[in-house]
Order: sequence, then structure tokens, then C-alpha cells
Amino acid sequence: MFKHYLLTAYKVFMRRKLFTAINLLCIVLTLVVLMVVTALLETFFFPSGVEGKSERFLQIVGMHSNSPSGDSMRTEPLGYAVIEKHLKPMASVERVAAVTTPRTVSVYQDGRVSELQMRRADADYWKVLDFTLLSGRLPTVEDETMGRFVAVINRSSATRLFASAAAVGKTINVSGQQLQVIGVVENEMHVNAYADIWAPITTFPSSEYRNQMSGSFIALLLARDAADLAKIREEVVAISKQVVFEDPKEWTNAVFFADSKLDMVARMLVGDPRTRDSGAGILLAGIAALMVAFMLLPALNLVNLNTGRILERSAEIGVRKAFGATSRQLVGQLLVENVLLCMVGGILGLICAQLALSWLESTQLIPYLKVNINFAVMGYGFLITLVFGLLSGVLPAWKMSRLDPVHALKGAI
Amino acid sequence: MFHHLFKLIWKRKGRNVMLSLEILMAFIIVFAIAAASTRYAQIYRMPIGFDYTDVWSIKLLPPVDVKSTFTPELYNHFKQGLEALPEVKKVSFSGSDQFTLSGMRGNVKLAGGGPNRLTDMVEVNDDFFAVMGMQPTGGRFFDQSDNGAKVQPVIINRRLARDLFGTESVVGRDFEAGNISGNGPVGLKVIGMVDDYRDGGELAPPSNVMIMRHIPYQTEMSMQNIVIKMAPGTPRAFEEKLHKQLQMVRNDWGYEITPLAALRTSAYASMMTPLTIISIIAAFLLVMVAVGLFGVLWQNTTRRIPEIGLRRALGASSGNIYRQIIAEQFLLTTGAVAVAMLLLVQLPITGALGDSLNWTVFLSATALSMGVIYLLSLLCSVYPGWRASRLSPTEALHYE
Repeated sequence: MFKHYLLTAYKVFMRRKLFTAINLLCIVLTLVVLMVVTALLETFFFPSGVEGKSERFLQIVGMHSNSPSGDSMRTEPLGYAVIEKHLKPMASVERVAAVTTPRTVSVYQDGRVSELQMRRADADYWKVLDFTLLSGRLPTVEDETMGRFVAVINRSSATRLFASAAAVGKTINVSGQQLQVIGVVENEMHVNAYADIWAPITTFPSSEYRNQMSGSFIALLLARDAADLAKIREEVVAISKQVVFEDPKEWTNAVFFADSKLDMVARMLVGDPRTRDSGAGILLAGIAALMVAFMLLPALNLVNLNTGRILERSAEIGVRKAFGATSRQLVGQLLVENVLLCMVGGILGLICAQLALSWLESTQLIPYLKVNINFAVMGYGFLITLVFGLLSGVLPAWKMSRLDPVHALKGAI
Repeated sequence: MFHHLFKLIWKRKGRNVMLSLEILMAFIIVFAIAAASTRYAQIYRMPIGFDYTDVWSIKLLPPVDVKSTFTPELYNHFKQGLEALPEVKKVSFSGSDQFTLSGMRGNVKLAGGGPNRLTDMVEVNDDFFAVMGMQPTGGRFFDQSDNGAKVQPVIINRRLARDLFGTESVVGRDFEAGNISGNGPVGLKVIGMVDDYRDGGELAPPSNVMIMRHIPYQTEMSMQNIVIKMAPGTPRAFEEKLHKQLQMVRNDWGYEITPLAALRTSAYASMMTPLTIISIIAAFLLVMVAVGLFGVLWQNTTRRIPEIGLRRALGASSGNIYRQIIAEQFLLTTGAVAVAMLLLVQLPITGALGDSLNWTVFLSATALSMGVIYLLSLLCSVYPGWRASRLSPTEALHYE
């Protein structure tokens, strides 16, 4: 039976090649956009590779505080003192790393200036994130305690600064500081990993940062186990209540939360820096609503095309009905046809989405972007396809099943 | 004639409702794309109000960021240190970074009351305007005569002048800023007006701007940026020498030196990235709208070929058929567009999107999207209509 459906579907598609092509094009275009967006979101929220420990990883990116009168408020990155005095001693985490937000620096090489994005990080940073070391070594606790002026650069900066020569061992002038390159790592794009050059925090020109409660630091928290995350979040909330600023008359009431990537983005876009609820639910609902809205036009389009196609086949439907086919069977057949078309579109869409992503990577629109359509995204893709096929098939199928066999046979509707 | 056409459309209302819905959706999408592009084109064409050629910015990064670090003596040291270099033409200080979207904002209002106006606030010293090549459109810029002024002198842009006073002759008038430093409102006097000062760059949305004169120990913000005019054609490599000179003033500070032109390029690139992604998606949507409408309308006309054959057999000329198809399509599209317009016109009326969907943008976006949709829907019916009208009546009657 099913084989017959497929055969009929094939015949129908081939008879109206132009409309099949238009149908397919609509499906493919929609799916490509949806799949590329899903792949990008997946890469961003649940990355693999350098920040691959997502399931037991939390970060604190901003600290909210206000003046005692409540008139002015600010949200700033953490100061190193908060991380060192309050977060590092936490018992429930495996490791806490401190890293600054990226900052533009200039590298001077006899008459040449290159602008790079630089972070300063402590030794734990290299253990929390899994950088791919290409040559040399990564900074250690020893580099920090000895106060060595060393730096790690990424692959593209190594090429930019030293062309094909080996970078490790060379000394570079970074905004007036002489730093020795000790390692080269692979280019990375993720929120906490993205930078061109990294140096130990002890390379700050002044050691004043050790006393600052607010500054330019992000704290990365790695749990021993994914189950500990809830406990860690609670502990961080408790810690934030203990933070006292240098000048409590000017700033007070520090509030910060340990967030997953999704929570972090939600807090920035829709949430509130002061409440425990990050607004992730609203963000996800918003994304889902946008996707559905985006699918509405192509779905409507397919409904129209399908309705036309079915009405053309009213004679065939009349014959089948006259010979005893039930409405349910006919609806089933039409849905199979529709889903089949969408599946073909889905496969084509996957291929095109892969092409679109590799094009996006090559344009460097987002620096160091690396996205692969993994099995999860492929699963989402097919899910989207299925929903799409059903969405655009139900209305015409319902319309068709109501056709009266006598009228259908005559071709009058 | 019209009565007849309406009757024809009404007879096929089920199908036509679906078709109109699709045209409506397509129109709304095209309208959104047109409105966004028009708005950005409009913003991009507005003057930024300063000249960034050969101007370099030095961001000061002291290890401890407190007001007491920035003393008048320190500013003087920086100024003298930099002016000692022959390449440096003029040195000034400002409290905001050019070509970033960060900065201080606050509310200002008329002294007697009136609505609050959210305003970008920048603190600068007297030489700033010369370095940035700015010209007053009314009044004057800051100078020594403002020393010890009872009311703090400020320069505002045209937009704020209109918002606040409703007129452009504003020199000498007073207003106040609410609670900048937590000590209650501060009185301000307008001494000059500029066309605009958009330090976010060409793509930043226009805003109210108030430029304040920095008074040591008194004003709220410190000027953490040095802005210098360089000799024309100073190479980027000069940055290293500049850096050494700055370190002679304070060697425990960090400095970010960048020509404004380079800052502008990177700010531009980072603002263009989301726009590019959105326009790629928009382009996909447009293609989809075009292909979808084409398919549906084509099918719509093709299905009526037997009917056309009948009319031909009864003596209608191909011109008549043509006119009928186009008029029907025109009515259908107009219906859908009218409903869409009814929905969309609520946006500028209620001001839901504020200034980003002003009437200019709304009207040009309407014209643009109407043009696209009418063209598309008529084209899509003209071609199949033309083919249908060329068929001989016998062929058309038996068309399958």
C-alpha cells in the first residue's frame, strides 16, 4: 500500500515539474535558514571543543550594584578581589578561573603595528577550557608566581606576526610590554575562549587589580559533576551577599549569578541583572515564536500550492472514493505525499545548509567561526521538516476528504 | 464591470482568502525589510558632525578608576608630554569613546518642569572642538571666559534643542539635568548649538547630545580619553613612539591608541555583522516570497484556462481576457495590501517603534513594498494570462 502511495506521489511530482520545483525550492530555502540558525544557536549555547564541558560549566560575567540612595546603578565585570577572596575558596566547585574580557592591544614590530584582542588569564583558565595546543606550552602556576612576562597567541596571530617562522620563543612588544611567546593555540570563537593573545594576570602594569572589587574579570566555574550546578548557583548567590565594596557609601548591594550560556544571553537580552530568574524561558519562547512566524509564509505558500495540486486530481480522488476508499485513507495518502516531498527537501536542505555554513565560515563574518551540522542539529532539521510537511499538508488534505465523489468525478468543485 | 469582477472573486472566496493571506504575509515581510533598509539609509546619510581624519584617540586605563586620579596637573602633564612631539598638532580630552555605543546618558528637562529627555552626555575640554573640526551653528564653543561661570555652560545638538525648547534659537536659555551626581538637579545654560555630534558613528541611531565643559574636582565624570590631531599622513607605526611618550608620564597605566579612522572601520564592521546576517535572511525571504507567489498565481491562472476558452469561444478578444485577469489580480492584491496597511499604520500612529519608524520611513517603505508586491503579483498573472489568451478556444476548452 505504502509503495503505491510513493509511486503515485512520484508520478504526480513528475507530471508537474515546475510546481514540484517551486515546492522544493520553498522547502529548501526555509529549511536552510532554519537549520543554519539552529546550528549556530547549538554551537553557541552547547559548544563542543574548547568550551566543551558545557554541562558542568557556569560563568559569572557581570556584577550589578547600586548607590545607597538607589539613584544610580551599574553592571560591571567582576574585580579580581571578588574572585580570589570569595569564589576561589568555594568548596563545591572543582576549579574557578579568572579571565579578563578581551581588550584591543597593539603589537609593535619594527615599524609595523598589529591590533590584537588580548585577555589576561590565571593558570586555572587553561585547565577549565580545552585549548588545542599547536606548539610550545601553556602558562602554569609557576609563570604566575615567578611573574614571568609570557604570552600565548593563536594560530592566525602567529601567521600575522611571524608569517611562516616559528613563533615560540620570540619576544613581542605588546603595548609597551615585552612578552615572550611560549605557546601557539588553535583559533577559537567561543564567548570565553575568543582572543588572539593571552598573558598571565601578573603581567598587568600595576598590581592594583588584586584589591579591586569591580573591574574587568569574568569568573569561570567548573563543577565536579553536572548534578552540583544547582548547589553552586545557591552558593554564589550567598557569596554575592557578602561582597563589600571599597567605598560602601558610593556602591553597595552586589548582585551576581553563576549562569550557563543560555542564562547569560537571556539575562543580557530579556532578563534582569538583579533577579535569579535569567529569563531563559522567555528567550526560548521568543526564538520558537520567531521560527514559527518565519515558517508561516512558506507553509501558507505550500498550502496554496498543494490545494491547487489536489483539486487538479479531483477526478482521481472521485474514482478512489467511488471504489470505497475512506476519507482517512485519502488524507493519509496526501500527508504521505506531502511529507515525502518535505523529506526530499529536507535532504537537499541539509546539503545546502552545510554549504551555507562553510560559506559563512569562509567569510569570517564571525571571527574563527567553526560550525558542523552534528547529529543533534540533523535531528532538529528532520523534526522541523516533519512539522513543516504536516503543517502544510493538513488543510488541503482535510479539504480534499470532504469532496463529494459525484462532484469530484465530474471535476466540478 | 467591477460588480462582475467582485462576483467572480466572491464565487471563489475560499481559495481567494488563502491567496490574499499569502499576499498579505508577503507584503508585511517586504514592508519590514523595506522599512529597516530605509531607516538605515536615512541614518547613514545624516552628518556625524565631526571630522575624524588624522585624529587619534588614546584611551587611558589607570589601574584604579577613581575621580581623584585625574587631576588638572596630570592632564597638563599629558598635554605637555604629547605636544613635545612634532607630529602632534593639538591635544584635547574627552569623556567618551568615539565610535563605541558606550557612554553616559541621563535625563534633562526645563527648570519649571516638563518631560524628561534622555540625553547622551559628554564632558570635554576647550580644545576638543578644534581637534574634531567642529563648527557651532549658533552661539560659541567653550573658552576661558567660562571660568568660574555661575551656571554650568553646555553645548547641545539641534535635536535636543527642538525636543527641549521647541525652537532652534536656544543660546542663553537655561535648563537642568536631573541628579547626575546624586546631589539634586544641576542648572545648565546653553551657550552654543551644533548640528549634531554622533560619536557612535554613521550607523548609530541619532540621539540627544549635550556637551559639557569639564571642570576639575567639580563635574561628575573624568575625561578618560585623549583626542589628538596629528600631522597629515602620520603613519600608524608612530603609535609606538606615542606609547613611549605616554609611559614617561605614567608608566603603570595602560593606553589604547587607535586612529579614529581605524576605530570607525572596526565599529562599522561589528555593526554590519548582524545587519549582514539579517539581510541575508531577508534576501532568502524575498526569494521565497517571489517564488511562492509566482507558483500560486501561475497555478491559479492555469486552472482557469477552460473558463478562458469559454469566454474566447463566446467572442472575447485576447485583450479582454488579459484585462480581466489583471484586474482580478489587482483587486485581490489591493484587498490584501489594504488590510496589511490597516494593521501596519498602527505602528507610527501609536509610536510603538518610536523614532525608528517615523512617517518618512513609513511612507517610503510603503511605496517600496507596494511597488514590489504589485509588480510581482501582476507579473505572475500576466505571463500565464498571456499564454492562456493565445490558446485557441478549442484548445483552451479542453485544457487539462
